[in-house]
Amino acid sequence: MTDSGEEKLLNVSEIQHFSTGDGPGIRTTVFVKGCNLHCPWCHNPETVSPLPQKLVFSGSGKTVIYGRKMSAEAVAAEVLEDREFYGADGGLTVSGGEPMLQADAVSGLMRILERDGIRTVIDTAACVPWEKFAPLLGRVQTFLVDYKTSSDETYAGQIGGDRETVIDNIRRLIGAGETVRVRVPLIPGVNTSDTDASLMCGQLAKAGVKTVDLLPFHRLGSAKYTAMGKEYAYAGISPPDAETVSRLRSIFAGYFDCFVE
Amino acid sequence: MRITDIASRTDIEALKREIAVPQSGEFRPEWFRAEGYRRLSEKGENGLTMPVKRAEAIYTLFTLPEPFIYENDLIAGSIRPLFKVLTDEQKAEAAELTSHYPERWFGTHSDHFAPDYKTVLELGIPGLQNKIARYKEIHRSDAKAADILESMSIALRGLSDRLKAYAEKAASMLSKLADRSGIEAQRLRFIRENCYTLTVSAPKTFAQGLQLVWMIHSCFMYEGRYAMALGRIDQYLYPLFKKDIDAGELTEEAATALVANTFAKICEARLRGGDDVVNICIGGVDPDGKNAVNPLSFCVLKAVGTVNLPGPNLSARIAPDTPDKFLDECLKVIGTGLGYPALMNDSVNIPALLRYGYDEKDVRNYCMVGCIENFLPGQQPPWVDGRFDPIVYLEKLLLDRDSLRSSSEELGLKNGQDATDDPDAITSMDEFMKLYEIMLVRGVKEYVDNANRIMHVPDPEDKTSPFLSCFAELCIERGQDINNGGSKYPSVHGAALMGVGTVSDSLAAIEKLVFTDRTYKLSEIIRAMRDNFEGHDALREAVLSAPKYGNNDDTVDKYAVWYTKRLSDEFFKYRTYDGGGFYTAMAANISNIYAGSTLGATPDGRLAGKPLSDAASPTYGCDRRGVTSTFLSVSKPDYTNCACGTVVNQKFDPSAFRDGKREKLLRLIRVYFNRGGQEVQINSTSRRTLIDAMEHPDEYPSLVVRVSGFSAIYVTLAKEVQLDILSRTQHDDL
Ligand code: SF4
Repeated sequence: MTDSGEEKLLNVSEIQHFSTGDGPGIRTTVFVKGCNLHCPWCHNPETVSPLPQKLVFSGSGKTVIYGRKMSAEAVAAEVLEDREFYGADGGLTVSGGEPMLQADAVSGLMRILERDGIRTVIDTAACVPWEKFAPLLGRVQTFLVDYKTSSDETYAGQIGGDRETVIDNIRRLIGAGETVRVRVPLIPGVNTSDTDASLMCGQLAKAGVKTVDLLPFHRLGSAKYTAMGKEYAYAGISPPDAETVSRLRSIFAGYFDCFVE
Repeated sequence: MRITDIASRTDIEALKREIAVPQSGEFRPEWFRAEGYRRLSEKGENGLTMPVKRAEAIYTLFTLPEPFIYENDLIAGSIRPLFKVLTDEQKAEAAELTSHYPERWFGTHSDHFAPDYKTVLELGIPGLQNKIARYKEIHRSDAKAADILESMSIALRGLSDRLKAYAEKAASMLSKLADRSGIEAQRLRFIRENCYTLTVSAPKTFAQGLQLVWMIHSCFMYEGRYAMALGRIDQYLYPLFKKDIDAGELTEEAATALVANTFAKICEARLRGGDDVVNICIGGVDPDGKNAVNPLSFCVLKAVGTVNLPGPNLSARIAPDTPDKFLDECLKVIGTGLGYPALMNDSVNIPALLRYGYDEKDVRNYCMVGCIENFLPGQQPPWVDGRFDPIVYLEKLLLDRDSLRSSSEELGLKNGQDATDDPDAITSMDEFMKLYEIMLVRGVKEYVDNANRIMHVPDPEDKTSPFLSCFAELCIERGQDINNGGSKYPSVHGAALMGVGTVSDSLAAIEKLVFTDRTYKLSEIIRAMRDNFEGHDALREAVLSAPKYGNNDDTVDKYAVWYTKRLSDEFFKYRTYDGGGFYTAMAANISNIYAGSTLGATPDGRLAGKPLSDAASPTYGCDRRGVTSTFLSVSKPDYTNCACGTVVNQKFDPSAFRDGKREKLLRLIRVYFNRGGQEVQINSTSRRTLIDAMEHPDEYPSLVVRVSGFSAIYVTLAKEVQLDILSRTQHDDL
């Protein structure tokens, strides 16, 4: 870790105002660029590579460049524009991509916003060394932590991460007194079996988790894959049907406060 | 059977189906009116004055058509009896007869009016007749006043006899029923009882009050009027509602059913082609400035949701102390895909109206007529408005050398400089704006002169409105027609300012390219406009990437602020022919499309013939940073300058209206109103919209769909993804 100016810049993919699905209240979500995982169902594929990317949308003919280095001050200024809307519970969400890969820069951004009493939600897959969380502890409104499957193999293979690290981080965050909300994407063929659900519940409950959001898979990201000139492995996969969602929900609801987004 | 039972056993859907049954013949109120004139001359009553003749014709118009009652009616009054199959000869004859008695039309104060229902509910028809008789006595030495009062009395008798005819009709239908104790019979008894009571006394129950209001409204339909508002129904009917509820005679469910049963008949307008816009206003503050939301407000809201058709145009007034619960219920109804109620900010509308010197108590009692026009019920002549296109004067300044020369001359006279007709000789944006203002000042004067010429009929003593005048404050006391000194306040005119987004974006583009970056000369922009940007790709690219209104960017938002203030100030200087005010509005309805269709390309990159920006909204698709930025921009202008009202349209996908999410919308609206937003009309993108957007992507460039952590422009998504979203929304629709 260096302290150079470059390190303090945020690698931003996109800033979204009036986010209503990424934490309480009205929020502004900063999607950062760069992820250490490679979930094949990822709906924000442009956030995976840290490099700037040009997407050409065939339908509208629009070209959008994702990825720009922004100073914490510049990002904060845009976030602060909406301050009146945040009220007591709204604020900033940093999502991605993996925000924890830019924890120092995120911390710098948070420091500016904290002066104005604006609080931050971190949306992370938590597959990073525990030390990465250090600068953020005690300052985050809620950690939204992805938990994708109970299977070590799937984590290691398809996703490209280490499940133990994730569950360990969840446990430590809770242990450190952080507010944690786990988010489970429901991916057909990956984690929608009753067995996987029950195993996940056991693992999460053991880690001390109290609240789980279920996020049914959707393929809204397919246009982005096309615009990147990439195949989307999940282009042909339909979202889980309502019955599957409610079945899984009832399993999770046996352990946690469970919501379907 | 009690009303609660009758109401619960009456199916609104069945009534809606009955109403939708097509009607043969044509809507011909003028034939009945002509018949009235014919009968008069047959009787040889040619010596009567014009107001009395008009009233006699209205009497015939109200009483000649045989009443019509739907099987599922709880509250009666239909326009079906006015449909007739006429021969060409009959039509010609009616036209000839009525041509001697020309009526007012929208431009000369005929409709878009909210009656004073409060007084007639208190007095009833007999009480109102007594009042007329009393003032006839007082004005007995004034022949004209006595005549006007006589004409009002005749018209009111028409209403009373029409109610009597409805009571008789119900009785005769009842006598033909085999089952005299079934629900059909109960409904007819209910109608008979209510209609009859109203002929002899003031309404005694909520249902009778509603029946009276509806029969009056339906008489306005008989007169051929359009966009007649019901106004603050949750206020003027509340005393009867409360009395019945307290006495255990009524429940909120039954009241809702009665109101829905009434509102469904607004949709009868479709029988004659096209919806009516009957504005109904709920919520807000009372004349003392205190929260006026009451249990009836919720019933009306639910009733409009139940009817779920355009026609009942619901407006909800929101004040800082309006309960969140009420706003939340409004959002629930909006979320059904209905798009109503429109939300109106009391904190802006009240100060805006106060600028015109009305009594504060009257202003706090404002409602709307037509789409959104602010109106003081029963205290002003019917509403008139027109369209003012500031962009036309920008085009003139740029494209017409004579206009540029003459405005430079005027500016030069002030500055002591020489006049020029060379656009490139303009040295600064400041100077450019001064020239534009000169053009606008001239335009406003021209507009006002023209409006006054049209509105002011030369023979107001002949062109009376005896029936309408019965429901306007002070007409009886003064013995004057509503359009000839009778109403409490003088006439007003609303000038609908078009294209705030188009104008602001155009000015920002000129400022940036010509005066800040100096990348293009004004003459080059003018050439591109003349060529409709053909062959000027780089320039068009440059104007399109200039700042756009709606992104919380002061470099362009300042022009919207200027536009609102400067134009309203200018209009404020003028008076209507009888001393009333000229209000401004930014509420295009769809006239931004017409306005744009005749206009050439504009400096913001808009191509010739394309629509102008809509109402007070940014140019469609140009507010790219999300709704918070849009609201931050759109709340910058000071709308207390726009006494008529403004419209900002916003679309949200159905998930935004779910439990747990609605509170975010609520907060968004509260902040927007707190910042001085005047109005917002929220649409839930119903399944219908989503399907339509799949078929016509060009019309929905900025339709956003949201899921957690993700939002996308709907029309950029692949077909199967759009279908996924459609299936997600299924359960959100009612
Ligand atoms: S962790 Fe999230 S951003 Fe990273 S690849 Fe997986 S889904 Fe995409």
